[in-house]
Amino acid sequence: MTEIPTRQRRKGWAQAPGRDRRTRDHLAALRTIRPRRVLDLLRRLSEVLDTVVDPEVAAWSALVAYTAGEGLGFNRAFLLLTEGERLKGWFGVGPRNLDEARELWAELRRRQVMPLEGLARPDQEAVRIERERHEVALSALSHQLVKGCGSWRRAFIGRGRHPNQCVRHWVSVLESPEIMVVPLMAGGRPWGVVLADNFVTRAPINHATLEVAETLAHYLRAALERTQLLQRFQDERRRRMAAEHATALLETARTLAHDLKNPLALAGGLARELLTEPPADRETLARQLTIAANAVARAEQRVGELVDGLTTRADSVSLRPVDVGDLAERLTEGFRPLATSRGVHLLCYHPARPVVAAAATASLQRCLENLLSNALEALGGRGGEIEVAVRDEPPWALVEVADNGQPLPPRMRGDPFAGGITTRRGGSGLGLASVRTLAEAMGGKVEYDEREPGWVRFTLFLRRWS
Amino acid sequence: MGSRLLFVDDEEGFLELYRTAFSREGYAIETTATIEGARDRLAQGGIDLVVLDIRLGEVSGLALLREIKAKDARLPVVLSTAYARYQDDFSSWLADAYVVKSSDLSELRQAVRRCLGAA
Repeated sequence: MTEIPTRQRRKGWAQAPGRDRRTRDHLAALRTIRPRRVLDLLRRLSEVLDTVVDPEVAAWSALVAYTAGEGLGFNRAFLLLTEGERLKGWFGVGPRNLDEARELWAELRRRQVMPLEGLARPDQEAVRIERERHEVALSALSHQLVKGCGSWRRAFIGRGRHPNQCVRHWVSVLESPEIMVVPLMAGGRPWGVVLADNFVTRAPINHATLEVAETLAHYLRAALERTQLLQRFQDERRRRMAAEHATALLETARTLAHDLKNPLALAGGLARELLTEPPADRETLARQLTIAANAVARAEQRVGELVDGLTTRADSVSLRPVDVGDLAERLTEGFRPLATSRGVHLLCYHPARPVVAAAATASLQRCLENLLSNALEALGGRGGEIEVAVRDEPPWALVEVADNGQPLPPRMRGDPFAGGITTRRGGSGLGLASVRTLAEAMGGKVEYDEREPGWVRFTLFLRRWS
Repeated sequence: MGSRLLFVDDEEGFLELYRTAFSREGYAIETTATIEGARDRLAQGGIDLVVLDIRLGEVSGLALLREIKAKDARLPVVLSTAYARYQDDFSSWLADAYVVKSSDLSELRQAVRRCLGAA
């Protein structure tokens, strides 16, 4: 979000760029960047960056400080990070064009928004949207590192005739008469760079802001290094947990093979031998039959323990981020041939951006398959419509499966998810019961309604992944 | 007299099964449920082939396999286990044959015959 000082903005809109105006603006800006304001800006940003755990939020926070009216007041700002031999556009904040700037700033004024105040409560979704908004510009700003980049030490103002090819490229892409370049160096090489300009107001860049901009960039770099390290640590921990999980599964398989397969092989082997050539003496026969019977009893006991263990595990199913829209789309496609063969029109709606839920893919898939099967059964070969809709309604990710088939029988309406109620509409009744069991195991729930006349709708509520 | 086979398995039922099945084929059968028992018997000599379970209670039969092969690389050892994935364990590659336990002993019979023929 961008807000610029009122005084600068008025001048920018009202006057054409010129040396006299620049001088006046420069002096005006010098007066506006007072130590107290700078200290307040640095304090606010450092408070946020000290606690932030997400690199994107760190980048957003710092770039808001560059662009906010009560910050450095640039029209827009970008962060580029070094990847191999390339400076790659990573984050951007601010309007993308003149019209957007007018709307954005008018909106900020109307709502009396002070962007710096929002830093303490970053909205992850807004941060993600902001990054996506600038994807085209970020891609265009990306550039190969060139020789001169290694000599950067301090922030500077770059213009179209700058000797460094990167700077000329950025000025050209941003279509700005001048841009501020704040290099972040590591070992004589750029680690990243912050670019900022006043492409709308054309207000000249104030040299006095460069030093503050450098300090902000240092804060940003420290936060990015810390958050990236934290992320790597978390990724590593996730990988380690997955490896431990795999090892545990392997060991379980070995134990099961030993405890389950062994007694079965033994009982079967003895039975075969007894059939091939029964022992002459009754004592040997009794002993071998006892061994076989005991082995079968042991296997039976082990199967019982296994069932109990699996039931317990289902209560604490392992949740991961699942793109619900993508999954719903895939499952709907899987059902489409069957639906078409029964004259059923199958529709799936979901937002373009991912709706990510905390779920176990297999469990969620089973839930949706059951709901789709249930809807298909309800239409009973007479044709009709099934609508699958995915919606993002914090804190839930919703999946609705609605059909315009026969309504639920009265005795199911009280609790359609109670197992064992056998009707055609609910199949065995166990399908809906297992949907509820699985949904609850994932920390969610499932509801049923007939609010829209002629339609039966089941809604699966899943916790959004955050 | 046929070849002398030593079966090592911690489950007495399997030893009974092996005794019944393989003695009918003319082999001399000896059995033991422990690694120590196997070591003692092997030290006495006269064994032509060992059929060895991998999971011997809390002990791994793969350790005994390494010991046997270190002392006499020519003594055939057939690994017999309920779990096929032990084949991925390079320690099991020392064995002359690897058989997954089944109620059908024909694979084990074939492996024993093959190893004795090659020994």
